[in-house]
Amino acid sequence: MTIRVDPENNEPNALFAVADFNGRRVLEIGCGDGRLTWRYAEKAAHVMAIDPFEGSIARAKENTPEDLKSRVEFRYVSFDDFAAASKASTFDIAILSWSLC
Amino acid sequence: MVHALEEILHLLNPEGCLIDIHPIRKAPLIQIHRGDDLLLAESDPGYDYDEGLRHADDALDEVVRRASFLIEGKSEFEVVTYASSVAEMRDYWAQYGAFDDEPKDEAVTARQDEIYARADDLMRSNEGAEITYHERARITRLKPQAWR
Repeated sequence: MTIRVDPENNEPNALFAVADFNGRRVLEIGCGDGRLTWRYAEKAAHVMAIDPFEGSIARAKENTPEDLKSRVEFRYVSFDDFAAASKASTFDIAILSWSLC
Repeated sequence: MVHALEEILHLLNPEGCLIDIHPIRKAPLIQIHRGDDLLLAESDPGYDYDEGLRHADDALDEVVRRASFLIEGKSEFEVVTYASSVAEMRDYWAQYGAFDDEPKDEAVTARQDEIYARADDLMRSNEGAEITYHERARITRLKPQAWR
């Protein structure tokens, strides 16, 4: 057996209970290796997933399912740098993914 | 943190929402199960981010107080991580610990080593036992109020 994280889907179920991701433009801050991203990305129109740790982003890119590659973009960048370079009102949903601490 | 939340306000469509997920201020549990039998349940002594979580809670309260966001809903859930061996579980969490610049307290590390050694003994002496790591988190949906 390898590591299994949240096979009960408690986290995506909690996420889907508070927001409808269908056709939405999503910003995920602190996406890590994409563990949560994969769970909702297929519903979204586009996902921008950022993380300040290069290794995590490299793993996320490497493990991106083929069918999600056109709609998920992983970027190794700090939130401050990303925000400074982004236009206002770009996203419908922003997720702070275990990153506000 | 308040500054970051207000930057998010700027990036969001006024009709959009912010979803915050972060752990509650309680140490995660390390458990060993064999079938329905609970053989071990210990709080992770490596839990040392209470202050950061308090700041996170305070930051959310502050942006609501400033009327930048309105809380539309919140709930709690549990994330359980399963591994077939203690070494596998420790390796997994070591990946995350590698991002932590704070030096580890020797007493905490010793206590962690003691718990994981006990867990390892139980795993070896109870065929089919499984180690799990239980974290509780809170999810909060916030609606932008004061778009700037």
